Amino acid sequence: MSGGYNEIHPEPTTFWSKYIFSFDHKVIAKQFLWYGIFFLGVGGLMALLIRWTLANPGVPVPLIGNILFSGSGGVVPPDTYAMLFTMHGTIMIFYAITPILIGAFGNYCIPLMIGARDMAFPLLNMLSFWFAFLSGAVLLLSLFIPQGAAAGGWTSYPTLSTLIGSPGAGQTLWCVAIFIFGISSTMGAVNYVTTVITLRAPGMGYFDMPLTVWGLWLTAILNAIFVPVLGAGVILLILDRVFGTTFFLAGASATSGSGDPVLFQHVFWIFGHPEVYILILPAWGIVSDLLSFFSRKPAFGAKATALSMTSISILSTLVYGHHMFTTQMSPLLTQSFMTLTMTISIPSAIFFANWLGTIWKGSIRFDSPMLFSLGVVFVFGLGGLTGLHLGTTTTDLFLHDTYFVVGHFHYTMAASVLLGGFAGIYFWFPKMFGRMMHEGLAKVHFWGTMIPLNGIFFGMLLVGYGGMHRRIYNPFIYESLQRLIPVNNLITTSAILMGFFQLVFVYNLIKSLLSGEKATNNPWEVGTLEWTIPSPPPHHNYDIIPVVKCGPHELGNPNLKTGRDFQYQTEELVQA
Amino acid sequence: MSTRGRSELQINLATNIVIISMAMLFATLFMGYAIYRSSAPVWPPMGVQRVSLLLPSLSTVVLFISSFFCYQVSVSTKKNELSKGHKYLNLTILFGVGFMVLQGLLWNQMKSSGLFVSSGIFASITYAFTWIHFAHMVAGLLALLYLKKILKPETVNLLTKTSSVENFWYFLEIVWIIMFITLFVF
Ligand code: HEM
Ligand SMILES: [Cu+2]
Repeated sequence: MSGGYNEIHPEPTTFWSKYIFSFDHKVIAKQFLWYGIFFLGVGGLMALLIRWTLANPGVPVPLIGNILFSGSGGVVPPDTYAMLFTMHGTIMIFYAITPILIGAFGNYCIPLMIGARDMAFPLLNMLSFWFAFLSGAVLLLSLFIPQGAAAGGWTSYPTLSTLIGSPGAGQTLWCVAIFIFGISSTMGAVNYVTTVITLRAPGMGYFDMPLTVWGLWLTAILNAIFVPVLGAGVILLILDRVFGTTFFLAGASATSGSGDPVLFQHVFWIFGHPEVYILILPAWGIVSDLLSFFSRKPAFGAKATALSMTSISILSTLVYGHHMFTTQMSPLLTQSFMTLTMTISIPSAIFFANWLGTIWKGSIRFDSPMLFSLGVVFVFGLGGLTGLHLGTTTTDLFLHDTYFVVGHFHYTMAASVLLGGFAGIYFWFPKMFGRMMHEGLAKVHFWGTMIPLNGIFFGMLLVGYGGMHRRIYNPFIYESLQRLIPVNNLITTSAILMGFFQLVFVYNLIKSLLSGEKATNNPWEVGTLEWTIPSPPPHHNYDIIPVVKCGPHELGNPNLKTGRDFQYQTEELVQA
Repeated sequence: MSTRGRSELQINLATNIVIISMAMLFATLFMGYAIYRSSAPVWPPMGVQRVSLLLPSLSTVVLFISSFFCYQVSVSTKKNELSKGHKYLNLTILFGVGFMVLQGLLWNQMKSSGLFVSSGIFASITYAFTWIHFAHMVAGLLALLYLKKILKPETVNLLTKTSSVENFWYFLEIVWIIMFITLFVF
C-alpha cells in the first residue's frame, strides 16, 4: 500500500504505464468515461429493442432484427425480452451511470477540485478500474452463453433468480459480475473518502469544497457502507444456485427447514434505496455548482445545500421498505416506512428551493452545461414529485409494479443523472482534453434529448397510471390496455428520436477530441482550483499546492475591482 | 498536517473503511440468520442434529491464541524488538493456519454426520457463514504475510501498518466469536 504523500511522482514513460495500467487519476477517469459511454450505447440499444416490442408486438425489428433474432424471423422472442429489460437495467445502473458519474467525475474532479496531486492510493485506484473492467467482461460474456443472460429483472428477486426461475448460467454470471463490481466500488470508495479527508489543500475547510466534491464524497461513504449488503445478497444467491443451499427457497422446493424468498428483497432494498442516492448525489453536486457558475451568482445557501445532501444521505438508509409495501409487511412497519419516506421531502425541498434561489435574478449564461443543468432541475422536480405518490401506501398499492414506477425512476435516475452527466461532460471536457466541444452541436443535442426524453418518461407515467404493468412482453393481450397503444407508440417514437440525437453527441465528442478549438485555462470563467492550471493539467496537477482563501462560488461580487466578475479560490475574499 | 501524520491517517482511514465494509457484509448475514431463526417454529429445524461443539470450541481457542500472539507482535514492534516481533508473527500465522485446518475438519465432520450443504436452511447457514468467514481468513493471512515482508526497521509507517493488520485480524476473530456463539452454542 503506497501511502499518498501528495508528492510529485515521476511521469510514466511507456505506453502501457501511461494509458493502460496508469496510476494517474486523470487517466483512470478517462478510462471510466469511455467504459461508461460504451455501456451507455449498449444499454441504449437494448432500450430501443424493448420499446420496439412494446409499440409493435410481433413485428420484426427493422434493420437489425434479422441479424439478432434470426430464429424468430426478426421478432424479439419473449424470453429474450426478459433478458433485455434485465440487462438494460443492470447495465445502465452499474455499468453506465456508476462509471461515468462516480468513476469518471469522481476520479477527475476530487483531486483537482481540492488541490491534490492524485488520489490517496493510486494503485488501489487503478485496481478499481480493472476490477470494473473484469466485471463488465463477465456481464457481456453472459449474453453469449447457451440459455442466455440473466432474465430476472435488475432486482433479481427470487424465485425468478433461483434455479427454478432461471436454470441457465446467465443469472450466476450476473451475480459474479455484480460482486466483482462491488469490490471495485468499495476500492473506489476507500480512495475517495480518504482523499477528501486528508488531501484538501491548505485552507480548504469542508464548506469550502465545491458541492460536486460534497456529492461525490457522500456517495463514496454510502457506497462503502451499503454495497457490501448487496454483496452478501448475491453471495447467498450464488451459493443457492451453485452449491444447493436453500436461503431463498421456500415450501416444497426447500427440503428441510424453509428459506425465505422475501429476505432477498429486504437485502436488495437495504442496499437499493441508498444506491439510488449513490447515483443521484454526484449529479446533484455537479448541478448545484454549475447553476451558480452559469448564473454568475454565489450558490444560494450552499452550506444548507451541503447539509441537506448529508441529511438525505442519512435518511436514505431508513426508508427502503417503501419498495415492499405489497409484501404483506405489518401495517406498523408500512406506516413507519411511509412516514420516514415523507420526511426525506423536507431536506429535498430545502435543497430544491436552493437551486431555484441560485438561478433567481442571476445573469444566466445559457451555455450547454447550464442548459443541461436547468434540464436536471426540471426533470428532477417531476421525478421527485412522483415519488410522493409512490411513497404513500394507499396510492402505491395501485401504482406498484406499473409503468408509473418505471416513469418515476427514469425521471429521477435516468433523466436527471443522464442530463447531469452530460452537463459535467460538456463542462469539464475542455479541462480533460484541452479542447472545446462544439457549442452549436451541444445545443442541438440538448433539445434533441430534452424534448423526446419527456415524451418517453411522461408517457410512461401516463400508461402506468392507465394500468399498464411493467415487464410484460405483450401488454395488449389485455383488452383493457389496448387503448394505451397510441401512447406507447408515442413513447417508442420519442425513444428512437432521442437515440438518434445521441449520435450528434458521439459525433461532437469525436470531432472535438480531434479538432476542437483549443481551450484556455479557464473557458467558463469560474474560480474553483482546477481552472487555475493549464488545460489539460500536467501530470502532477499542481506545481505548487494552492492555498485556499475563499469558497468555490464567489461570483458577481460588486466589490471586485479586477475586471472579472468572479474570483479564484486562491484569492483573498474581496470585501467592501 | 505533516506529511508523515497524513499518511498515517490515510492508512488508518483505509483500514477502518475496509473493516466497516466487511462488517456490513457480515451484519447482513447475521440479520438474515436472525430472521430465519425467529420465524422457524423450532431450531434446529425438525430432524436436524446440532453440530457437536468440540471442533468449534477448539477453533475458538486456537484463533484466540493467534490473536494474542498478534497483540504481542505489535507490542514488540512498538518496543522496536523486531526479531521478537517476527517470532510472534510466525506464531500468529501458525495458529491462524491451525484454525483453518480445524474449519476443514469441521466441514468433514458435518458431512460425515449427514449434514450436507443442501440439507436445508440450518446446513445452508452453517456452511455458508463458515465458508465466507474462511474466505476472509485467507485475506487476513495474506495481510499477515505482507506484514512479515515489511517488518523491518526501514519501513515507513511501520507501526501504523502493523496496527492495521492487527486490527483486521482482531476483526476476523470477533466475527468468528459471534458466529461461534450464535451458530453453535445457542
Ligand atoms: C424524492 C423522493 C423520492 C421518493 C419519495 C421516492 C419513492 C419511491 C417509491 C415509494 C418507490 C417504490 C415504488 C413501487 O415499487 O411501488 C420508488 C421506486 C424507485 N425509485 Fe424513488 N423516490 C424518490 C426519489 C428517487 C430518486 C432520487 C431516485 C434515483 C436517483 C429514485 C429511484 C427509484 C428507483 C430506481 C425505483 C424503483 C426500482 C424498481 O422497482 O425497479 N427515487 N421510489
Ligand atoms: Cu426507494
